[in-house]
Amino acid sequence: MKMILAMVRKELIDAARDKRSVMAGLYYAIGTPLLMCGMFMVLIGQLSSPEDLHITINKADNAPDLIRYLDNNGISHGEGKSVKAITLTISDDYAADMAKAKPAEVIVTADKSNEKLQKSISRLERNLQAYSSEMGSLRLIARGVNPQVMAPLKITVHDQSTADSKGGLILGIAIFTMIYSVFISAMNLAIDTSAGERERNSLALLLSHPMTTRQLVLGKVIAVTCFAMLGLVLIMLVSKVAYMFVPWQELGFSVNISPDFMGLMFAIGAPVALLASTLQLYVSFMAKTFKEAQSYLTMVLFVPVALSMAATYNIAPHVLEWLPVSGQQQVLMAFIKGREIPMLQLAISSAATVIIAIALMLGMERSLKSEKVVFGL
Amino acid sequence: MITVANLSKKIGEVQALNDLSFSAENGQITGLLGPNGAGKTTCLRTVFGLLKPDSGTSCVDDIDVAIDPIGAKKQLGLFPDPFGLYERLTPREYIRYFAELSGMARKPAKAATDKVIEQLNLTDIADRRCKGFSQGQRMKTALAQAIVHQPSNIILDEPTRGLDVMSTRLLRDILIALKQQGHCVLFSSHVMQEVAALCDRVIVMAQGKVVAIGSPQQLCEQTGKDSLEDAFIALIGTDEGIAA
Repeated sequence: MKMILAMVRKELIDAARDKRSVMAGLYYAIGTPLLMCGMFMVLIGQLSSPEDLHITINKADNAPDLIRYLDNNGISHGEGKSVKAITLTISDDYAADMAKAKPAEVIVTADKSNEKLQKSISRLERNLQAYSSEMGSLRLIARGVNPQVMAPLKITVHDQSTADSKGGLILGIAIFTMIYSVFISAMNLAIDTSAGERERNSLALLLSHPMTTRQLVLGKVIAVTCFAMLGLVLIMLVSKVAYMFVPWQELGFSVNISPDFMGLMFAIGAPVALLASTLQLYVSFMAKTFKEAQSYLTMVLFVPVALSMAATYNIAPHVLEWLPVSGQQQVLMAFIKGREIPMLQLAISSAATVIIAIALMLGMERSLKSEKVVFGL
Repeated sequence: MITVANLSKKIGEVQALNDLSFSAENGQITGLLGPNGAGKTTCLRTVFGLLKPDSGTSCVDDIDVAIDPIGAKKQLGLFPDPFGLYERLTPREYIRYFAELSGMARKPAKAATDKVIEQLNLTDIADRRCKGFSQGQRMKTALAQAIVHQPSNIILDEPTRGLDVMSTRLLRDILIALKQQGHCVLFSSHVMQEVAALCDRVIVMAQGKVVAIGSPQQLCEQTGKDSLEDAFIALIGTDEGIAA
């Protein structure tokens, strides 16, 4: 234990003095939340714009009921920049025609070739149509006719692009960037302390000392895990500040980096950090040089990305919720959305994470006993 | 004391060690002399248990390395080739780190580090990072690491390579001092003068086998030559891979 502590202390001093490792962690931890914030603001802007459609309505006084109906559906008269180039004019005879059950005229003026307007125009037309058929139904009822005779088709459209599901996508990315920070922060130290150790010819010297390979592996894993957790803490602190500037209310939920969330993230992140460090150490010990390890790790780092992205795009969701990284990601998403935390899912994915990490440690212990690995024979 | 008996080891297609047997006594400097590729480093690595011999045993102070590697390593100090310094650590941190890895507690490790820094005149560079050190400074740091925990056996792999006269002399003095304290010093070399000047006993190796064992003088007498160099060439039968 004493030796492990001595190793951890040395590795952390060594890493802290290695500008390359520290900067890689820092850039990611500071840069990513800011990048995410920018993305969120753009996305929220796109998602929330259909909520309110501002057009020019002329002679609104002629049809107060219609105007109220449109207003309820988010279409209203507006002034200033947000107004779309669509004009709705109510004819002067509107009220009189309506009262006589004659077609009352409303005029929509807009440039239909303008692609940016098409969505808004059809939305307005759809709403006018709906109002029209509602009025028609009322007239039929007043004459003792079931209005359903006028509706031979019943069309039901399920629009799945709700704010919540679209938000879920970006929320998944936000949480993933935090989980991913343990991989990024651990990377340079993991390479430096394994392949780098061999490149500097200090690995054989280290193994010549009276310590077991298990102690050596544990020392390195603990040091790299500490570094990974440091990256996680840093990204949470930066995110906490940065995410305050995102207009979350437009999405119907908010990514609030509360102390509770930070605590949960830290607890859930610990096994992931362990996995990140063992996985990267394991792969780097296979490589003979720093550069070789780097190119292997770029491939390895794709695995957590793939797991997370597959979860976001609903690929095999029932398998992914039990797997490392994606399982924990979904638990954290549930927490953010205010749902109940799926404890079983959390327990199993965390256990899987730890089991894989232990298997990798045992693998490393074995491989460091092999002459081939130590001397690259 | 270091004893190896009937060591054989094949690395790939090469028979690196071929039924190698010798011993290095306490209070003596033993030189492992052989041309490049004779199996010197392989032999030393086997003593540390880093390589497993195909057959044969190696013992440190009567502890079999194959049975109790940790116990055997506790009796050993290694001056490796290459040095294996950590460029971002200072010699003080480096030496203390390995003192702790050799099983010393923190405080004694610190005291031993201060002592060895004093002993090797490292004080002026002790708190500078190892990056940019000269070969002599690197050698001293690596040597300090090898002897900081006062092991009864010290193994040096090609210790004089790349050193200037001053550093070589310092190294020589330290090895003689260690010998006088009763340590067992075993070093490998292919430099004749070094071996002739330092060793009480020379083990001449070629192609993984012991060719001859004796003091430099005995070897000269045995071959009927005047210098160790000529004796060496006579013993191994070729002058390939030897530095005069």
